[in-house]
Amino acid sequence: MASFLGHSAALIAALAVLPQLVGEFWAYTLALYFLYAIASLGIGLCWGQAGFLPLGQAMFFGLAAYLSGLSLIHFKDSWLLLLLLPGAALAPGLLAYGIGLLVFRGRTLSGPFFAMITLALTLLAFQIANSWNDVTGGFNGLKNIPGLPGLSDFTDLYYISAVALAVCLLGIAWLRRAPAGVVWRAVAQNEQRVRFCGFALQNVKAAVFGLSGVLAGIGGALYAPQQNLVTPQLCGFLLSADLVIWAAVGGRATLYGPVVGAVLIGILTADLRDEISYWEVILAAIFIIVVLYFRQGLMGFVEPRFERLWRRRTERTLDSPARPEASGDTGLADAGFALDDVRVRMGSVNILEGLDLEIDRPGIYCLIGPNGAGKTSCFNAMTGELPVRSGHIRIFGRARTGTAADLLSRIGVGRKFQAPSLFPDLTVAENFNIGLWGGRARLRDLVRMGSHGWSSAILREAQSRFPFLAEEDRRAGDLSHGQRQILELVMVLIAEPRLLLLDEPSAGLSQAETQEVIEAIRWVGGRLNACTVIVEHDMTFVRELADRIFVLHQGRLLASGTVAEIQADERVRAVYVGASA
Amino acid sequence: MTKILNPISRRRFVAGAVGTGAAVAAPAVLSGARAAGEFKMATFLALSGPASLFGPTQTACGKLAVDQINAAGGIGGRKVTVIPADGGATPAEAAKAAIRLMLRDKVDLVLGSHNSAVREAIVAALKGRVPYVYTPLYEGGECNPNVYVTADTPQQQVQPSISWLAKTLGAKTYYLIGNDYVWPHKTNEQAKKYIAAAGGKVVGEEYLPLGAPNKFEDAVTRIKAKKPDLVVITLVGGDNVNFNRTFAGFGLDKSIKRVSYLLEELTLFGIGAENSAGLYSAMSYFVNEKSEPNAKFKAGFAKAFAPKPPPLSMLGADVYSGVYCAKALVEKAGGTKDAGKLMAAANNLQYRTATGTAVMTNRHVVKDMYLAECKGTSFDIVESFKAVAHGQTCS
Amino acid sequence: MDPILTTNILNVVYEVSTLAVVVLGLAVVFGLLGVMNLAHGEFVMIGAYCAFFVQAQNLPFLAAVPLALLVCAVLGLVVERLLVRPLYARPFDTLLATWGLSMLLREAVEAVYGRAFRSVATPLTGSVDVFGADYPSYRLLLTVVSIALVAGLVWWFVRSATGRRIRAVVNNPELAGSVGIPVTGLARNTFVFGCCLAALAGVMLAPLLPVNPTLGLDFILKSFFVLVVGGLGSLVGLISGSGVIGGVESVVSAFLDRTYGYTTVLIIAILFLWLRPNGLFPRT
Repeated sequence: MASFLGHSAALIAALAVLPQLVGEFWAYTLALYFLYAIASLGIGLCWGQAGFLPLGQAMFFGLAAYLSGLSLIHFKDSWLLLLLLPGAALAPGLLAYGIGLLVFRGRTLSGPFFAMITLALTLLAFQIANSWNDVTGGFNGLKNIPGLPGLSDFTDLYYISAVALAVCLLGIAWLRRAPAGVVWRAVAQNEQRVRFCGFALQNVKAAVFGLSGVLAGIGGALYAPQQNLVTPQLCGFLLSADLVIWAAVGGRATLYGPVVGAVLIGILTADLRDEISYWEVILAAIFIIVVLYFRQGLMGFVEPRFERLWRRRTERTLDSPARPEASGDTGLADAGFALDDVRVRMGSVNILEGLDLEIDRPGIYCLIGPNGAGKTSCFNAMTGELPVRSGHIRIFGRARTGTAADLLSRIGVGRKFQAPSLFPDLTVAENFNIGLWGGRARLRDLVRMGSHGWSSAILREAQSRFPFLAEEDRRAGDLSHGQRQILELVMVLIAEPRLLLLDEPSAGLSQAETQEVIEAIRWVGGRLNACTVIVEHDMTFVRELADRIFVLHQGRLLASGTVAEIQADERVRAVYVGASA
Repeated sequence: MTKILNPISRRRFVAGAVGTGAAVAAPAVLSGARAAGEFKMATFLALSGPASLFGPTQTACGKLAVDQINAAGGIGGRKVTVIPADGGATPAEAAKAAIRLMLRDKVDLVLGSHNSAVREAIVAALKGRVPYVYTPLYEGGECNPNVYVTADTPQQQVQPSISWLAKTLGAKTYYLIGNDYVWPHKTNEQAKKYIAAAGGKVVGEEYLPLGAPNKFEDAVTRIKAKKPDLVVITLVGGDNVNFNRTFAGFGLDKSIKRVSYLLEELTLFGIGAENSAGLYSAMSYFVNEKSEPNAKFKAGFAKAFAPKPPPLSMLGADVYSGVYCAKALVEKAGGTKDAGKLMAAANNLQYRTATGTAVMTNRHVVKDMYLAECKGTSFDIVESFKAVAHGQTCS
Repeated sequence: MDPILTTNILNVVYEVSTLAVVVLGLAVVFGLLGVMNLAHGEFVMIGAYCAFFVQAQNLPFLAAVPLALLVCAVLGLVVERLLVRPLYARPFDTLLATWGLSMLLREAVEAVYGRAFRSVATPLTGSVDVFGADYPSYRLLLTVVSIALVAGLVWWFVRSATGRRIRAVVNNPELAGSVGIPVTGLARNTFVFGCCLAALAGVMLAPLLPVNPTLGLDFILKSFFVLVVGGLGSLVGLISGSGVIGGVESVVSAFLDRTYGYTTVLIIAILFLWLRPNGLFPRT
C-alpha cells in the first residue's frame, strides 16, 4: 500500500511539471498522445494480461469521440454535459462488453478469430462514420466542436489529458495487483483451468474487453473537445494498428509499456516522419523484431525489476468465506450423479455408446477399463466438454446434461485433468488463490487486495502434508511433474467440491508421493463428505482406495462391484486379456 | 528526449538560390514595424492521396513565385522561407500539422491548395490567428476571419458552362457523380439550380468515398442504363482519371458527353487521348490560354525548371498567383498577422497572377472563365466568359 | 438479352474471378503452412508497381510479368526464411509478424514512390460486343485469364505429383516427412509460389486500379473474408467464398453503390467469423 502511494505521488509530480519544461507545442502534442496512450492501455489489458488481441480499438475511440463531439455541439454550456461526456466514455465500454459476451460465449479459444472480428468491426465503423453524412458529417467529420467549458489554452488541455492518464494508470495498477489481475493472467495461460475453477470465462474476458472499451472511450471522449474535429479516420484501421504497435513495442504485459510506446513512438513519429523518409519503414521493422525476439517490449526490460522491489506477498491471515451452498442440493440422496444411456460421438467415431453409471452416496470410486473405453470421455461428457448426442446426466439430483464447467464448479464439482492443468507462469500462491476465489469471491472481493490473504483449513492441511506447497513464491511451471500433479489436485480440493473427478492423479508420481496422494484423497473425501471418482490404471492405487469399481468397455459400463468382485469377474478379465493381446 | 526539450526546426527549404546579395540587401527595404527576418510561409500542397498528381506542379509553381519574390527583395523585405506540409493528408492530420506550424514553427502565413474538408480543418485549427490563402477551385462560402480565397467558385465555373452546354449541345438529362465530401455536394447543389434554370433534368446522382480505392464499373453501368445527355463530374484526381477511363472503356464516350469541374492538363493526361472524346472542362486557367502574361509565366516556368520542367496546370498556376496574393496582402497590411488589418487590406487588393493581375473583393476574386473541349490530351478553348462575378458576400 | 443485365453479369464474373486469383495464393499458403500471410496484399501491390515501373521505362506491358515474378519470388524467399519459418510453431505471432511485414512493404514502397495515386495505361484498349453490350476488351481478357489460371491450378493441384505431395503434407505433415517428402522445401516453394501468384494478380489488375501503397490493404481484407466465408483450406471453399464475397459486393454495388457493397461484405464477414468460423466448407 505504501509503495502504491509513493508510486502514485511520483507519477503525478512528473506529469505536473512536464509542460513547464517542454513548452506549449509539446504540451499540446503530449496531451494528444496521452489520450492515445489511454486507449493503448486497454490493449495492454486485453493482450498483455488476458491474452487476447483486439485489432479494432479505434472503433471505441472513434465512437466516444463522435458521441462526445455531438454532445458538445448540441448541448454547449448545458449542465447535461456533466452526464453526456462520461456517458460518451462509458458507451464504448458497454458496446465492447456486449461484443465480448457474444463473441466469447461458447468459444473456448479466442485467438486470431477474435482479432479478425474486431478488425472487421472497426472497418465497419469506419464505413458508417464515413457515409452517414447526416450524423457524423461523413468524410468532412464533425467540425468546430466546442472545447470543454472554461478551458482554453493548450496547457489546460494538457492537464486534462494528464489527469485522465494518471487516473487510468493508477486504476489499472490497482487492478493488476488485485485478484482481478491474477485471474486475467490466469485466463491468458489456461482458459480451461479457469473455467474449471468456477469462473465464467466469457464474463471475465468480456469484462476485460469492456474495460478496454472504457479506456478507449475516455481517450476518445477527451479527443473531441481537444482537437475540435472528429473524422472517420478515428475509427479506422490505421489508428487501431498504431495502438497495437505502441502496446507491443512499449511492452504489452507491463503497466507503463503502452504509455511509453504511445508517447515515445508517437512523438518520434510526429517529429521524424518529415525528416527521415524511411522512418515508418524503420518503425515497421522494429515492430517485427519485437514480435520475433522481444515479446516483452521496452518496458519488459525495466519494469519487472522494479516490481520485484515493490511486491511482497500478502500473508494468509483470513479464512476464506464458506462456499455458498446451492439451495436444494443437500441431502444424501443428492450426493452423487447418474448417467443414463449417454451417447457421445466425435466425427464418425462413437465414444460413448449408451453409458449408464450411477453413484448415489459419498465414497471413493474408481473407473477402470482399457484404453479407449471412454473413461476420460465420461468425465468430459459430465462436465460439458463433449456434446452429448442423447441420454441424460444428473448431478446432485438435477438435470445437468451439457451444463458448462464453470457452473458445475460453482455447485461443487471439481475436476483434475490427466496432464497437470494449472497456471505455469503464476506463483504457487496465485494458483492456490485462483482455486480459493473460484466460486467464493464476489465481484468486490476481486478488486480488494485483502483477498490475496485468504486461507482455508484444507490448504493448511495440504501444506503440512506436502511441504513444497508452503514455498508459495515459486513459479508453478518450475515444479517437477509430480509436484505439479499434486498442486493441481490441491487447487481442486481447496474449492471444497462434493463431487471430485480425478483423472489419473498418480501418473508420474514417485512411490512415496503416490502414498501421500492416496492419504490426502482419503482425508479430503472424508472431510468434505464428497463423492470421489478416480480414473486410474495403477491397480495398487485402485485396490487401496476404491470402495467400488466401475469397469468401462467400448463406451459402455461392463461391470461394477467391489475390488474382489471385479477381480473375480470373467468378463473383465476377458477384456483386459483381449486388450493386452 | 533532447528533441522534446529543445525542439529544433524541421527540415525546411529556403526556396531557390537566393544570393547573399538579396539577404544583405533585405534590411534596406524594411517595411512596417516588423524587424527583418525570414517570412515563414507554410504550404499545404497535395503530397499524397487522390489529388497527389497535382503535387509536383503545385510545388514547382509555388517555388517559382517564391524565388521571384525573394530575388526582388522578399515580402516586405523579409526573405520567404517555405515550410511544406501535406495537404493530401486527412483533415485531422492536416489540422494537427496546422497547429504544429502555428505553435512550434510560428509561421507568418499559410497557403493551401487541397480539398475543402482539409481547408475546413485548417481554418478551425488556425482560428484566424494566422492569415490563410486558399487557391484551388472550391464550392464557395468560405468567409471565416483571416481567410483569403483566390479560387474559382461554382458561380464562376458552373453557371456559365452549364447554360452554354445546355444550349450548344442541347443537353436535357444530366447525371451527377462526385466524391463524397463538401465540394462535390455543394457544387452539385448549385449545378442543379443552373440545370433547372436551363430546362434540364437530373436523372441520377451519386457520390463515392474520397481517398478510397474506388472502382467505377457499376457506376458506369448505371449511367449506361440511364442514358443521360451529359454527365457532370466532381471527382478528384485519381478517381477522375479512373472514372473517365472506365467510362470510355465501356464505350459510353460515343454517345454521352461529360463535363468535369476539376479537369486540368494532368488529369487529362492520366485519362489519356483514347478516353477523352466528348469531355469538357470549365476553369479560369488553361495552359494553352493565349495571353501575353501567360506566355511570360510559362517561359519563366520552363526556364526555372530546365531542362526537365514538371508539367504545368491550373492547380499550379493558382498556387503561383496565391503566393503573389499573399505578398500583396501582407505588404498592404504592413507585415502583420492581425486579422482585422489584413481583412481591411484585402478589399480591392490588386495582385499579380499567371495571366495578368486580379482584384480581390469580399476576399474572393472576379475572373475570366474558359470552357474547353478535350482534343486528345490537350484543351481546345471553345468559349470565354469575361469578368465573371464570384457570387460571394464575405465582409 | 438486355445489355445492361449482360454488363452487370460480366461485372460480377470479373469481380469474382479476379478475386479468386488473389485469394488462391493466400489459400495455398494457408492450406499448406497454416500461415495466414497478412502481407499477401502487399505482394499484389508490389506487382502493380512493377507494371507501373515497366510502363514508366517505356517497356512493353508484358515485361512486368517476369519482373514482378522475380521481385516477389526473391522477396518471398527472404520472408519465408526470416519471418515465417522461425514462427511455424507460433501461428498467432506469424499473423502479427506478417502484419508488421505488410506495414514494412507498404511504407517502403511509399518511401520510394510516395503516396500518389499512379495510373497504368491499359495495354488493350477498346471494347468488345458481348451479346449487344459493349464490354472493355481488357476486362474481358482479364476475366478469361483469371478463370483459366484458377482452373489450371486446380487441375494441376489435383493431377500432378507435386499437387499430391502438397495434399499429403496438408493432411499429415509428420507422416509426409517420414515417407520422404521434403516438407521444408515444399513449404518454402509453396510460400514463394503464393507470393508470385499475388504479384501476377497485381500486374494484371494494375491498369484498372489507382496504384498506390495502400492498395494491398483492400485485397488482404477481402481475401481473408473469402477464406472465412468459404472455409479455410479447401478449393471448393475458395471458389464459393470468392463467389459470395465478390458476387455480393458487385451485385449490391450495382443496385445501390460501392459503399453499401463494401459494408455488406463486412457484415457478412463478421457474421461468419462470429457464428460460423469454419465457413461454408470446413476442412475435415
